[in-house]
Amino acid sequence: MTEPVTATSEATVLLVDDNPQNLKVLYETLKDRGYRLLIANDGEKALTLAQRHQPEVILLDIMMPDMDGYEVCRRLKSAPLTADSAVVFLSALDDVDSKVKGFALGGADFIAKPFQAQEVIARVWTHAQVILLERELQARNRQLENDQSRILNAISEGIYGLDPRGNVLFANPAAAIITGCSNDELIGQNFYDLHFNTRPPEGDQPMIDTVPVQATCTQGIAEHQRDVPMRRRDGSVFPAEYRATPKLENDQLIGAVVVFRDITAELASEQALEEARQTVQEQRDQLAHASRMSTMGEMAAGFAHEVNQPLTAITNYARVALRMMADDPLDRTLIQQTLAKIEAQSHRASEVIRRIRRFVKKPVAGKEVLSIAGLLEETRQFAEVDARHNDGDVEIHVEDDVPDVLADPVQVQQVALNLIRNALESTRSAGRDTPVRVRAELTSPECVLISVTDEGEGLPEGAEERLFLPFYTTKAEGMGIGLVLCRSLIQAQGGDIGFERPPEGGARFYFTLPVATT
Amino acid sequence: MSDIQQTVYVVEDDEAVRDSLELLLKSAGKEVRTYRTANAFLNDYSDKMAGCIVLDIRMPGMDGLELQKKLNERHSILPIIFVTGHGDVPMAVDAMKEGAIDFIQKPYREGALLEKIENALELDREQRKTLGEKQEIVRRIKTLTPRESEIMGRMIAGQANKVIAIELDISQRTVEIHRSRVMHKMGTHSLAHLVRMVLSVKDRIDLG
Repeated sequence: MTEPVTATSEATVLLVDDNPQNLKVLYETLKDRGYRLLIANDGEKALTLAQRHQPEVILLDIMMPDMDGYEVCRRLKSAPLTADSAVVFLSALDDVDSKVKGFALGGADFIAKPFQAQEVIARVWTHAQVILLERELQARNRQLENDQSRILNAISEGIYGLDPRGNVLFANPAAAIITGCSNDELIGQNFYDLHFNTRPPEGDQPMIDTVPVQATCTQGIAEHQRDVPMRRRDGSVFPAEYRATPKLENDQLIGAVVVFRDITAELASEQALEEARQTVQEQRDQLAHASRMSTMGEMAAGFAHEVNQPLTAITNYARVALRMMADDPLDRTLIQQTLAKIEAQSHRASEVIRRIRRFVKKPVAGKEVLSIAGLLEETRQFAEVDARHNDGDVEIHVEDDVPDVLADPVQVQQVALNLIRNALESTRSAGRDTPVRVRAELTSPECVLISVTDEGEGLPEGAEERLFLPFYTTKAEGMGIGLVLCRSLIQAQGGDIGFERPPEGGARFYFTLPVATT
Repeated sequence: MSDIQQTVYVVEDDEAVRDSLELLLKSAGKEVRTYRTANAFLNDYSDKMAGCIVLDIRMPGMDGLELQKKLNERHSILPIIFVTGHGDVPMAVDAMKEGAIDFIQKPYREGALLEKIENALELDREQRKTLGEKQEIVRRIKTLTPRESEIMGRMIAGQANKVIAIELDISQRTVEIHRSRVMHKMGTHSLAHLVRMVLSVKDRIDLG
């Protein structure tokens, strides 16, 4: 009975006529046209076949013994499975009354007997197409409805459909769970009253705009708020996040859709995260401070030397001045010069101490707008306490276009000092006396890059991957903390730190800092 | 010998320390010369220098210990007082092992420094005096003829005139003449003194 599909997708056509000759003609007319053809020679058989196969099109003779076409049509239309089939009546009756009756019973069309083959073909094709499309559309609608309700039921966020006055037209199961009501109870409740203990104004009185979602319902303005206290049915309050979207129909505001959720747990974990972040920050600061103290300890001999130089000079000058006081006549000018030298040396000593104090003081975690040149120069003065000890030299080059950066001066100095001291140490271990080169340049409009290059021993193969991991060290007495801390400090400034191997040997460490925006 | 001018040579990289030390030592009546680097001093050095060196142990470039080594290589006898800082004790120990006479820690009291400088100058004087005497002995030994040298060697070895005469196959009288010439040239009347003099310079001469 089935034929290969040609032009149309396979549609089923049921031919119903009590006259075998007619059936034969209809069959011959429609065969090989891509239809699945079914044949019935009375009403009962027609209904059975229609029920079983749900044909798209039924060509139905009106005048039949036992059950006529009208009755068959009425029954087809009243059965859900067959109601959407297109019934095309075949009839010699060409009067208006019978046609009206046929259409009134749900018939789709009439074909007058004796029929023209072309007409039958054309009409069947048209109706088959219409029904096929309709059925596809219905299937899709059903699918969409299923999806929609599945989504609305499964979603953990509460969803309300509101009318312009804030009355609940629709609520999904999650809305009921969150607010502690049953779904049925929610429908018809007023959103403002239920959740914000605010009664909607009577009549034409203006609404109070401070109530959430009210602007969306009455003015069509989308809202999104977080951490809004929302009441449950039992009067308890939970922090909510909601989005309210205006519902429009033909440009007319007909209410709002509100999607909301209880963010109690979310806020708690956010707070926990924030606390953890603060703890990390505090620990980093403490570690940084401890590390600075330890650096100072390592550099103590150097600093003692730095302070002792001016103190020695002061002691000597003071003794000289005392001798001069005993001279007769007094050479006032010489004494004054000597006292001035004493003063200058006192300043020098206090400057060294000031530098140390500033370096070891607890940071106030304050970012400032900093001049890179100034900061590096001061770090150099520090490092040279070591350089003197190590016979090393530090050269600073800051490109002309390097702008100020935004960073914590103490922490940046700590990183720079750490890198420079490492470089000096590496140079000395390699038995060289080439200077350590410190360079600052602008690598992008937002980023200043500071590099510290030495021609020392360099790093062992594969060190890059572990360099910034805790407890990795290439030094005999190293702890493997310095670079880890440096990275942490630089990342806290919004920069990054890295290592590369210069082609001429040695090592280059670099870090970046964000340019201060004016 | 006492008319040798002694100078305190200050080698110190820190300008203020150098300047103040120069003023201080001058006001204490010392002749002072200052140098900014170890190299500058080394370039200036000659064995004619008398006095002592006040040397900063910690300097950029060549440090105090290296300068000391270089001076030792050149047989300098200038006493060195090292000036050290806090925590430089291990370096100071090295310096003493290399023959430094003393060290002083910054910041120092004038009295302590001057005392150390006086000691150093005294040592220098003595060393120089000894050195002068030895040089005189060597000079005198060099005036001896080969025969006189030979006989002096045997005198010091304790050989009697008779033994020397027999071994050298000369007359005892001839030995006595040589002997008296040796004593005369060496400026002494006592054999014991002659022995002491020659032994004091035995590292400088070859008695054959």
